[in-house]
Amino acid sequence: MRQISLTFIQLFIVFIVQEAIVNQFRLPGGGFSLLLIFSLVWAILTLPEIAALIGFISGIFMDLSQSSSGPIGQWTLLMIAACYAVAYLGSGNESLSGNPLGFTFLTMSAVFFVELSFVATSALLGVATGSFGQVLITLLGVSIWSLVATPIFLPLFSYLHALTFNTRSVL
Amino acid sequence: MRRGGEGRSRLLLIILIVTALFLITLDLRGVGLLEGARQGTQTVLSPFQRAGAVVLTPFKGFFSEVTHLGRTRHQIEKLRADNAKLRSRLLQRKNADAQLDQLKSILDLAGTAGFKIVNARVISQGSSQSFSQTITIDSGSTAGIKTNMTVLSESGLAGVVKEVFPHSALIALATDPSFRIGVRIAGSQQIGILSGRGNRSASLQLIDNLTSVKVGDILLSRGSIANRPYVPGVPVGYVTAVDNSAGAIAQSATVHMYTDFSSLGVVAVVVGADASNPGDALVPSKPRPTPVPTVTIYATPTPTPTN
Repeated sequence: MRQISLTFIQLFIVFIVQEAIVNQFRLPGGGFSLLLIFSLVWAILTLPEIAALIGFISGIFMDLSQSSSGPIGQWTLLMIAACYAVAYLGSGNESLSGNPLGFTFLTMSAVFFVELSFVATSALLGVATGSFGQVLITLLGVSIWSLVATPIFLPLFSYLHALTFNTRSVL
Repeated sequence: MRRGGEGRSRLLLIILIVTALFLITLDLRGVGLLEGARQGTQTVLSPFQRAGAVVLTPFKGFFSEVTHLGRTRHQIEKLRADNAKLRSRLLQRKNADAQLDQLKSILDLAGTAGFKIVNARVISQGSSQSFSQTITIDSGSTAGIKTNMTVLSESGLAGVVKEVFPHSALIALATDPSFRIGVRIAGSQQIGILSGRGNRSASLQLIDNLTSVKVGDILLSRGSIANRPYVPGVPVGYVTAVDNSAGAIAQSATVHMYTDFSSLGVVAVVVGADASNPGDALVPSKPRPTPVPTVTIYATPTPTPTN
């Protein structure tokens, strides 16, 4: 319970940082989502069921963001699935979760697939996401920014995870 | 024991997914509680966004001002202290000047049309992760702003008020993929529908298949009943390309919007308008070409002495 509370508080802080600081810079190609990267990094480091819970909390925050165009619950559903999937892929696979390079690649791929799933589910729910070209630019832009941002924040996120879950930092 | 643990984790996963699906269903059915949660979040975030906008303004300018690659290290060290102070002041001044210019242009625009406006600063740019184009401004319902009000920039239409909170409001930009506005062509009065495409270029669909549009035509907003969501006569953009493909029901075109959405610092929300339609009064004047001076030199050859 204590660990869940600490996770909630940290996700909330990252959400505020995302909304108040990261969103101030209109980066080319759509920029990056710190909350998305944070959640996926933590998900890779934890067990699948805990990862699903992390995905649920971060998804709720992403849904509550004013810039979210879809219905509340859309990001929640996607984040549960994404966090569970990366945790499942990462658990026991040292080549993916044991070294920073594999970690960064897994995170970037997850970001790409989450955004792609968002576009697909938006189409199903009737939410406009823009022209094909614009969607493609945003997808590639967000993935590339994630590739740049993940190695920068990885040590901090990994350290915070180790601190919260009383484990040894793997990175 | 292990089977029991797996069963619990599977149950947790199912509960979480069902909760998410339940939330989607509730939101799509328009349950007010969830909308209240979004409003509450924005109320909590608003002070942080305001503080972030104030703190980060010099840095945002700083990144674009780094153009000192050719200087030697010695010179930089010598002038660093003075430079830091002066640059900080200059950036603040530049930022203030830019906002003042934007504000002046907005006031000119609104004054010509007889719009009653509320000025506001942009305190946050919406994240593009959800493929939407939004901004948050620092004025809300306490300043008289309501949903579905037109938002102006220095050069024309910026967007429409999507959500209102006590001290802030969310604006859907005209570039948002879900943005639609009825427009008319200045002069010919042909009407059409303009749709956002995620960037500064928008697509125009004419309604009447007997009319035509040409490159350079200027588009103005048509206006709505009781001026909400759109007041009439606001410049939107100009036509850059016309699609003349055979078989199309009505002509379509690509439009370049006047507003530079990447540099929005100050905007104005139209909270009231005169009963009269400003017509084409707000059509921006075409830029005059700068005359190039021509210099004519007459050379007279000096007579050479002949023997």
